Amino acid sequence: MNSPLVVSTQPVDLSRRSTLTDYSDLATATGLRKITSTAEEVPHPQLGTITRATATAVIANPWLGTNTEHDLSERTEAIAPLLAKLLSDRLLYSLGGAEQIQAFGKAAIVGTAGELEHAGALIHTPFFGNLLREALQGTSIICFVDGRGIPGETLRVPMWHKTAAATRTHYQTIEISLPDAPHAAEIAVVAAASGGPRPHARIGDRSTDRPITSAILKGIKL
Amino acid sequence: MNYRKLVTIVEEISTEGGQAVDPVARVAIVAAVIDNPWAGQGFVKDLNPGIDSVASSLGALLAPRVIEALGAPLEAYGKAAIVGLDGEIEHGSALIHTLKFGNHFRDAAKATTLLPAVEKRGPAGVQFDIPLKHFTDATIRSHHQSIEVKISDAPHSGEILIALAGATRGRPQERLAALSTEQ
Repeated sequence: MNSPLVVSTQPVDLSRRSTLTDYSDLATATGLRKITSTAEEVPHPQLGTITRATATAVIANPWLGTNTEHDLSERTEAIAPLLAKLLSDRLLYSLGGAEQIQAFGKAAIVGTAGELEHAGALIHTPFFGNLLREALQGTSIICFVDGRGIPGETLRVPMWHKTAAATRTHYQTIEISLPDAPHAAEIAVVAAASGGPRPHARIGDRSTDRPITSAILKGIKL
Repeated sequence: MNYRKLVTIVEEISTEGGQAVDPVARVAIVAAVIDNPWAGQGFVKDLNPGIDSVASSLGALLAPRVIEALGAPLEAYGKAAIVGLDGEIEHGSALIHTLKFGNHFRDAAKATTLLPAVEKRGPAGVQFDIPLKHFTDATIRSHHQSIEVKISDAPHSGEILIALAGATRGRPQERLAALSTEQ
């Protein structure tokens, strides 16, 4: 079940598309403090190894001190595509290329001096989502978590299948911790990807479910 | 070397104290989650057979992965052993405080000093800090640093989490006088 958001079927290297290639230029353009990448490899008896990865950028909140009327589009268009590039580069490296990626997800946590909408601006628009989808060769809408938080939070970032979001085997989350981030005036932006399904997925799928309604409650015996 | 999972973490720090960090400070950690070799055996007096069967292959597994994840020459390093709640801290120490383990990292990094370490016992997801020191002279003050780590869902009560960490440079904005200036 492909979503209508088909953007590409060919591999795209966002690094090669970007005119900003020097890391310090990218850091300056995004107000970047740090990027943390994680990769988790779990041996599996049938699937070999399932690798799952995350990449988190911690940047200065570009809208600090603005009010709720402030137009967020200008900074979103300047910053979100660069974040998508920085984070997808690291996911592709950790997982060994887009063809190794089966599921994806994203997250943004804004520090306590910022507005929830600031987190949303950096991940909920095409300036981030379309580029991440393009780089990871997906077509699905990207599932997410967002919120406001303090440094040291632990997040569970949801992921689902990159071309068939309703594929039940691929519903999963990956846990990350954010040591020392986000500070009050920062935003942490996360991209996540998985090289496989849940380790022992065996709870059927929409295609195998029989019709279920609340009438089933009448049939359950103690 | 059997493990339940292997986790690689890379941190790239480009700003600290509001100033650019140039070159970017990279820190890499690789952690393996393994069965505690002494789980379920009660108090084991002689740990040597367990050490002999595990420590060297653990070092051989982790050391090259840290070097690869770091992606630039290593200048500081450290190690960690986090024991699940049913084990002894001594079990973690046994696996990392032996040359059989550490020499893999020293050789891969062309290092000469002893590795600073954290050893503790805790539940799955426990947070710990790995200390790092300069790889050829542990008195070099600019390279004293630590990195915070938390591995989700590990170690279970019968497991041990073993990690190695490396850094490409000293602290991002290091500017303390050398130890020799106070002697």
